[in-house]
Amino acid sequence: MKVFKHLVLAGMIAATPAATTQTAMADSLFEDLGGMTKIERITSRLLDLTFTDPRTAPQFKQTKRDRLEKLLNDQFCELTGGPCKYKGVNMKKSHIKLGITEREFNAMVEQLQAAMDAEDVPYHTQNRFLALLAPMKRDIVER
Amino acid sequence: MFFRYASVASAALLTSSFPAQSAAADESLFGSSKLLATPGVIQVEGAGGAGLSTWAMISGYGSNREIGASAHHTYVTTDDFTLNATGVTVGFFDRVELSFTRQWFDTGDAGGRLGLGEGFNFNQDIVGAKVRLFGDAVYAQDTWLPQVSAGIQYKKASEGAIVRAVGAEDDDGFDYYLTASKIFLDKSLVVSAAARLTEANQFGLLGFGGPNGGHSVQFEGSAVYLLSQDFAVGFDYRTKPDNLAFAEEDDAMAAYVVWLPSKHVTVTGALTDLGDIALQGGQQGFYLSLQLGF
Repeated sequence: MKVFKHLVLAGMIAATPAATTQTAMADSLFEDLGGMTKIERITSRLLDLTFTDPRTAPQFKQTKRDRLEKLLNDQFCELTGGPCKYKGVNMKKSHIKLGITEREFNAMVEQLQAAMDAEDVPYHTQNRFLALLAPMKRDIVER
Repeated sequence: MFFRYASVASAALLTSSFPAQSAAADESLFGSSKLLATPGVIQVEGAGGAGLSTWAMISGYGSNREIGASAHHTYVTTDDFTLNATGVTVGFFDRVELSFTRQWFDTGDAGGRLGLGEGFNFNQDIVGAKVRLFGDAVYAQDTWLPQVSAGIQYKKASEGAIVRAVGAEDDDGFDYYLTASKIFLDKSLVVSAAARLTEANQFGLLGFGGPNGGHSVQFEGSAVYLLSQDFAVGFDYRTKPDNLAFAEEDDAMAAYVVWLPSKHVTVTGALTDLGDIALQGGQQGFYLSLQLGF
């Protein structure tokens, strides 16, 4: 047991420098977006649009907004280098068999752009954020 | 332990909270679901691209389950010549693009100097097709892999007798191109490069092939910086064959500003340098293109 504990500790120490560098590189985007307060406002505006826009609303009819909002906040925060941990399932599993189309995915991207506009996030900062989200299309869009 | 259980439970909840909807509410065949600016504009020969270059993007705002059509009118005026081009370009399911463009090349005063008659017109029709082979220029932001498409353009020049008289082999011909494009979203940059197998003299307006040769591989490329949601600036460079003996043919370039007030209207304004054309030196001028999407 003691050996195991030491091993874990050693592993953690070994992993620390890499993890720190990664965070330091990415957290400028978290800061540039305006930190957690801003991310929460963006997510809230995004979901206001998502739940009402006829292009996306049908897909979210039975979604619990509070729960989704929390997951998105954590995901956006972690992805941009903030001090959060996304605890939901991965994108593929969470969207499986939903039959999400490119049209619906793009509609949500446009809603996110509108949300960031409303929060005065500069265009180029928006693009840096979208660049991190874009590859998720592979796992989310099914048709 | 509790945490792990909670997160699994929340995952299950999240999953079950998205019901599988039967096809989205109002899905129409014609649509504009691509993101603004991502398909580029219609280039001078009618293909999706930028001013002078073809891109790997399929033209129009139709996404993978939609058809997107656009019409363009392009006007180029240089020191001695005027070119007008009008056409229609249709993208099918973000996979195949078909286009038709007619070009009118007005020789103006130079027509008189060349013995053709003042205001003599060289026209040509261009039928184009492009297919997306692989890659995703917009979404594959985690790889360097570009989107790659292959295209073909059939061009038919109107003045068969005259283009042969200046040395062209034919009044019609095929261009084949392979184009690779990538949007570097984190840099707000679009980069595209294409290789074109062509024997077209001055894009085909002066016929095809000649005493100096036939098909050769030429390069065309673009770099575009996305300034804001509705403005982009860019630069295009295109090499051309030099098949005719009577006059040297130069490379073409353009520096442009694109205004995208909506997905339905795109305006491109450019400064262009087409080099010497038919012994008329240094053809520099303006390029203006209006594109309407449906």
